[in-house]
Amino acid sequence: MPLDYKRFNPPEDCVSYKRFTKDSLKSPEQLENEILIKEELRKDGRALSETRPIFVSTEAVSQAKGSAYVELGSTKVICSVYDPREIPHQNEFSQLGHLFCEVKFAPFSCPRQRRSHAPDAEERTLSAALKQALEPVVCRNMFPNYQVDIFVYIIENNGSCFAAAINAAGLALVDAAVPMYDIVTASSMAVVGDNYFLDPTEEEEFVALNNTGDINHGVITMATMDVLQQITNFTQIGSMDVTSVNLAMVKLEQECANLVPVIQQCIVKKTVEGLKIKKKLEDAAKEREKTLDDKIDIWKKKLQAG
Amino acid sequence: MELETDVVSHASGSARLRLANTDILVGVKTEIDVPKPENPAQGKIEFFVDCSANATPEFEGRGGEQLANSISNLMQRAYYSSQAFNLKQLCILEGKQCWKLYVDILILESGGNLCDAVSVAVKAALFNTRIPFVKVALMDGGNIDLQLSDDPYDCKLLDIGSAPLLVTLCKIGDKCVVDPTAEEESCSIVSLIVGITDNPKFYQTEKENEQSFDGSAKCSTIDINGPGSVHPKTLNNAINQGMEAAKALDEALGRTLLRERKENQGFKKQSYGFLK
Repeated sequence: MPLDYKRFNPPEDCVSYKRFTKDSLKSPEQLENEILIKEELRKDGRALSETRPIFVSTEAVSQAKGSAYVELGSTKVICSVYDPREIPHQNEFSQLGHLFCEVKFAPFSCPRQRRSHAPDAEERTLSAALKQALEPVVCRNMFPNYQVDIFVYIIENNGSCFAAAINAAGLALVDAAVPMYDIVTASSMAVVGDNYFLDPTEEEEFVALNNTGDINHGVITMATMDVLQQITNFTQIGSMDVTSVNLAMVKLEQECANLVPVIQQCIVKKTVEGLKIKKKLEDAAKEREKTLDDKIDIWKKKLQAG
Repeated sequence: MELETDVVSHASGSARLRLANTDILVGVKTEIDVPKPENPAQGKIEFFVDCSANATPEFEGRGGEQLANSISNLMQRAYYSSQAFNLKQLCILEGKQCWKLYVDILILESGGNLCDAVSVAVKAALFNTRIPFVKVALMDGGNIDLQLSDDPYDCKLLDIGSAPLLVTLCKIGDKCVVDPTAEEESCSIVSLIVGITDNPKFYQTEKENEQSFDGSAKCSTIDINGPGSVHPKTLNNAINQGMEAAKALDEALGRTLLRERKENQGFKKQSYGFLK
């Protein structure tokens, strides 16, 4: 593993003290029993198909062309989109514009390990998947030979961070006024046996991924364009049969559709505010012009009066 | 499709696959390592893909890096579940020592459908992999002293019956095409990759079959590739289609591998040469 030489590193065979705490000494089976308090009720009091409260806002980064901030419970993601620029290091002309996506975890974002500064395999995979989720949505023919940079920073990861990242990136693209076909929304689901956890927490994801039994288990993340009825990204990991994949897909589709009004509301709010500001600025400009005109009139009169 | 196992003598297991114009060579190397503290009873497996510039000039320099990364990520994800590949069989001493498998995939020629070809070749190479038995393990304080068997035939084989096969489905028009050629791939705007773990029975002799239970086909990974998007219904149909294709492929592969092993045991195997 590449080391970060800018800081004092512990000996290589050190492990986090957290591994010896009560919670992490539990076996996967124990954890599996714990994530459901009773039937249909999760640890944090949600029903199985209930999502966490979502918060979205735009204009989180003032320097960027467009930006967005999304919270799913305690999962926090910030995304910024920068103006199109010519594709660097490319000789050939490309008819379609490029999207450059980068997903980055904050070093302190994950509960189980400290993320290193160098991009690891998971970050690279997520970056590629984000690009896949956004490419079909953006009208890339509008900016040939140019690329739009999209940077996602995961500040806190408490499950469904990739879904939150797609939602944030979609909103940030709208905020940056990049031409798009539709709004993109995403949602994820953890499957453990016959239980389908919508919008899973990190713990539920962990249980779903590391199950060693003979049951269906895994995590699915899906991104859709609701109006066009298209799936832009579908990522499944784990092991499950076709019927449960289909079932999860139907539920995720529904949830992605539910998210659209939330995003729309945010966009409308932003646009109305933008119009208001524009009107204010226009009014101010008119007023300025008027005072200038008045002054000119006065000077003209003075001149004519000689 | 041409498949040949045990082609590289310095590797623990190897396979070479030629699928039309695609040529893949896979070598498996084994090493002793310390298991991860989170999973003390599990071994490790890692995939490396090398797109050599021999395959196509596009791969020159860093050109193939992205493709190589995406294939190795896909393989890693497909082998993630314990139902797909049980890492417990690579454990030597719980919490202290385990086997680590390095699966090195070399793409010699690229003529479409790389993912599928890679997954078939990897499965064949793992089927062929021999891990030496540990004769003695001495605990000396905190240190462990292992003695491995010197006899090259005194080794165990891996249980890879349920290892996943990837099936790429290229969407061309309204239909999805299995096993696309390079031309077909360039025609399609979006492709789906489905990793299927199937019945481990295909890889066992009849005697072993009586004891093991029937496994049903399960998806171990699904991914969409390419700049397009799909309708949910298309995705559904494609998964089912991929499943059928994987089943047929898995059965054929299992039969072939078993036959080759039998020939090997009787020293009857004729070598067909490496790169004809």
